[in-house]
Amino acid sequence: MLLNQFLLLSAVLFCLGVYGVLARKNGMLVLMSVELILNAVNINLVAFGAFRADVGGSVFALFTIAVAAAEVGIGLAIVLLMYRNRRSIDLTQADLLKG
Amino acid sequence: MLALLAQEVDFVRPAIDWHAVAPELTLLAFGALVTVMDIVWLERGRRLTSSVASIALLVTMIPIVTLALDGEDRVMFGGAFVVDNYALVMKAMFLVAGYVVVLLSTNYVAEGDYWESEYYGLLLSSILGMVLMASARDLITVFVALELLSIPAYMLATWRKRDLKSNEAGLKYYLMGVFASAIMLYGMSLLYGGAGSTLLADINEAVSVDGSPSAIVVVGVIFVIIGFAFKVSAFPFHTWAPDTYEGAPTPVTAFLSVASKAAGFVALLNLLFVGFFGRDDVYEPLIWILAAASMTVGNLVALRQTNLVRMLAYSGVAQAGYMLAPLAVASDVGDAALTATVTYLLVYAAMNLGAFAIVLAVARKTRSAEIDSFKGLFGYAPGLTIAMSVFLFSLAGIPPLGGWWAKFRVMEAVIEAESASGVVLGVFVAVNSVIALYYYARIGLGMWAEDAPNGDTTPIRVPASLVSALAITAALTIAFGVYPPLVSEFDVTLLAGGLGG
Amino acid sequence: MSSLLAASSADVPFPILSALVVTPFLGALLMLVLPNGRPEYFKQVAFLVSGAVAGMTAWVMVEFDKHTADEFQFVDSAEWIAGLGISWTLGLDGISLWLVVLTAALFPLTILAIEAEHTPKAYYAWLLLLEAGVMGVFLALDLFAFFVFFEIVLVPMYFLIGQWGHGARAYAATKFFVYTMFGSAFMLVGILATAFLTAAETGNAVSFDLVYLAEEQALATTTARWIFLSFAVAFAVKVPLFPVHTWLPDAHTNAPTAGSVILAGVMLKLGTYGLLRFGIYLFPEASVYFAPALVALGTIGIIYGAIAATMQKDLKRLVAYSSVAHLGFIVIGTFALNTEGLSGGLLQMVNHGISTGALFLLVGWIYDRRHTRLIAELGGLQKPAPVFAAVFMVVMLSSVGLPGLNGFVGEFLALLGAFAAHRWWAIVAATGVVIAALYLLWAYQRVFHGPAEGDNAEMKDLTWSEGAIMVPFLAAIFVMGLYPAPVLERMEPAVDALIEHIEGNVEDFDEADADQGEDLDVDDLKDLGKKKDSKATDESALVEGGAG
Repeated sequence: MLLNQFLLLSAVLFCLGVYGVLARKNGMLVLMSVELILNAVNINLVAFGAFRADVGGSVFALFTIAVAAAEVGIGLAIVLLMYRNRRSIDLTQADLLKG
Repeated sequence: MLALLAQEVDFVRPAIDWHAVAPELTLLAFGALVTVMDIVWLERGRRLTSSVASIALLVTMIPIVTLALDGEDRVMFGGAFVVDNYALVMKAMFLVAGYVVVLLSTNYVAEGDYWESEYYGLLLSSILGMVLMASARDLITVFVALELLSIPAYMLATWRKRDLKSNEAGLKYYLMGVFASAIMLYGMSLLYGGAGSTLLADINEAVSVDGSPSAIVVVGVIFVIIGFAFKVSAFPFHTWAPDTYEGAPTPVTAFLSVASKAAGFVALLNLLFVGFFGRDDVYEPLIWILAAASMTVGNLVALRQTNLVRMLAYSGVAQAGYMLAPLAVASDVGDAALTATVTYLLVYAAMNLGAFAIVLAVARKTRSAEIDSFKGLFGYAPGLTIAMSVFLFSLAGIPPLGGWWAKFRVMEAVIEAESASGVVLGVFVAVNSVIALYYYARIGLGMWAEDAPNGDTTPIRVPASLVSALAITAALTIAFGVYPPLVSEFDVTLLAGGLGG
Repeated sequence: MSSLLAASSADVPFPILSALVVTPFLGALLMLVLPNGRPEYFKQVAFLVSGAVAGMTAWVMVEFDKHTADEFQFVDSAEWIAGLGISWTLGLDGISLWLVVLTAALFPLTILAIEAEHTPKAYYAWLLLLEAGVMGVFLALDLFAFFVFFEIVLVPMYFLIGQWGHGARAYAATKFFVYTMFGSAFMLVGILATAFLTAAETGNAVSFDLVYLAEEQALATTTARWIFLSFAVAFAVKVPLFPVHTWLPDAHTNAPTAGSVILAGVMLKLGTYGLLRFGIYLFPEASVYFAPALVALGTIGIIYGAIAATMQKDLKRLVAYSSVAHLGFIVIGTFALNTEGLSGGLLQMVNHGISTGALFLLVGWIYDRRHTRLIAELGGLQKPAPVFAAVFMVVMLSSVGLPGLNGFVGEFLALLGAFAAHRWWAIVAATGVVIAALYLLWAYQRVFHGPAEGDNAEMKDLTWSEGAIMVPFLAAIFVMGLYPAPVLERMEPAVDALIEHIEGNVEDFDEADADQGEDLDVDDLKDLGKKKDSKATDESALVEGGAG
């Protein structure tokens, strides 16, 4: 059974996602990068589940997908709110609070 | 995939111990009720919602008390959900903290410009997540509980929709939180792969083998701990805390700084003590560094804050360091570390909520959380000044207040380890207490000895709900310190769960 | 200092020692609920409460059995935190008795002597809380309880300096607070290490009981030395020993008069008492090992304090530096580790409380009248205020150590002990006595002699009520100077027991006795004054020559 290839793919996705979160200034792109990490997680879970012939991995993946949807829904709402109030979703402009 | 699922067709409905899940169900029912009231009655429900929310939290205490009186440890869902003494103590803490937050919110929300029912609905569902977390002994349960408590919290932080600061607070909190939970999930997926089970007890069995750990386990453990380091705002993952605390509505800040942080710790305790207790060569050095760095950096940055809420945020980072410290010697002292952290959480909840209650009360008059605006408080609000001094000196760890006992337990745990790393950490705690004393005492002296800015000494009218919140927190802060057995005589051994456990 | 169980000779059913701690605490709470309308009540209530404590202490003093002064008496013990072997244990022996008496006497006098400048409610509440804390420190026989009281003491003093002080009061208060907290942070590590390592070595349950830990002596030599250091740092800051003394002049200069009196009178003794009770008793071997270093620091403190005092322009700061010097004598006496030195150090703790407390009161009264403490702006006060000048003279001479007054006996015994143990350091320290006479007499001369000009000519003399407050101080100065035996004979057994404890636990410890192996007994001490009269007269002659 192929396991390493799946793990490698997910590791690459994870790294891309982390890079995106850290480097992007656009709120939407950051959200999408987070989605990349979550998908890396799902690939891991399903691959391990299949490898170990355990259904737990798939169940966990289902939970992740469902919860991630809710999470991103909230995220979109917050970014939208920012857009309404500021007419921009550039994260570097959110600098009212510091010290 | 289908073949896999087919193996499981002989599905047996798991036995449900209704008594054990009664607190969660009660809270869920009331949360739904508040939300429905909001939808049906709209503005007319406005007067009722805060009372319903506080009733919800008090009613939920009933099953907790009956479970505690019963005294039996309950294990469900193959060990994924456990009700033991530790879980009950933490659940009770979340409910009381939640009750105090409702008291803090009542006037703040009612006098604000925003729609309020959703506020209490969100608050209740976040508390539900925390209550669930205390019982979670399975990766999936931990994850679901974490998201259940976090997602409403993101919305609460952004609750003042048209306020740019509140937007920004929510955005920063959300992005950091989501990023952290994604990293944590990646770690969890690796742990699942290493152990082949999501049950923490099974994971412990799989990772606690002699010899050096496999790379998957190392990365998994580290990522999971980092994920929760965000949640408890430990250095260097604390950057969201000061901004979010300052921008969010103050009652929400109180909630985040106490309940949300405590929930992060509860998850961390479950994972460390049940999930990878045997892998101390991986987590102890990491926690040691997190603890030492958090307390030092948190205190040093807190020194130069001019806004009390930001200062409390950084002091919260430092306090997280103290709470992490016993976990860095967990394998040497075992339950003493668990007791120390739990004690600290309980005391911290009381004193920090109290401090925020004062901030709220004073801001009713001064409309500011600047430290200078607290000067001369004794002249026109002696009661608030005395209460604030109690909270500040408790945070600084001066006996005979609760914070002192908490710090003593931490010191005791790290020194009981009788290892060089433990003693060095103890010295870190000791030196940091002195640094922290400097900024806490400065505020104290300003309140007592200075003159009020621009000579305004009209008294503050403190509404009844704030007074009761202050009474509860001050009484607990003092009682915990004067008679410590109140917090240290719980038998808080963590039940591993696991099948038949 | 044998076992607690055999201790109590006066078997009282009433927990009198707990009452000594709890009464002022309740008084502080009572203060908070008193109505604001009648401010004069605050002072009266505070005086009544501290007077009640003084009354109870007087009863304890009378009932104290001097034949068993080496045991803890009136022991009062209750479980506090059973799981960790922490108990509420209070007890009194010959060492702590006089410090408790000093505390109980000084507080009502201070409350009576000085009016709160503002916010009397908080002022008297803090003072009473302070009294509770100080009493607790002197009485606690449990390391945990001791530490709790040791820390509690800081908060009221912080606010007394910060709220009612003068000048850079916030700076001084914070410096005081942070310095002492820094010391005690290390002590907490030490206390925990003592309890847990002892439990680990002996296999018994953890206990914070002082007597148990001291009798057990389970720690390895090196460990004990490290832990002793952690205690010593905390106490050295409190004493204060050179080089961690810098908070003291600032605190004294800016503190209100009552703060200074209490600070000098009793709070500095928390450090020296701690060294005695928790340093030497718990870690005899480490004390012997570090004694030369502590004697050296004490001597440096004496000389440094004396020289610094000579150069001060501010009368109060001068007295503050003289405290540094006097505390040095206590330390060198204590760490001579022989009967004379220890009794001398202990006696000097009480004496310093009386004479420096009185000096700060008098300086405070000068400040109230003249609104300045600068020596240069004062002068010729003797003419308008002759009684004041006379009282000041007596108190100052007691501080100098004139034979016949109380300061002499303690200082002489401490030097005698130190001379036997560390000859050269003692000789250096003795020059401190000379300098002390120099700067104090010089200051007296500049303030009270010469022509009185301007406001100085109008200074009000001592009033009747002020005079009445000074009477107990003067009485103590003369009684303890002329007939110290009742005090000494209650200390002596406890001090001897402490030395036996060292001998029993330290191999090849050789008590450096002043008169070759033969302990000085009380009868000798009675006429100490006479024996050394000639030398002392030389000294004062020398000093007067220098001062003139």
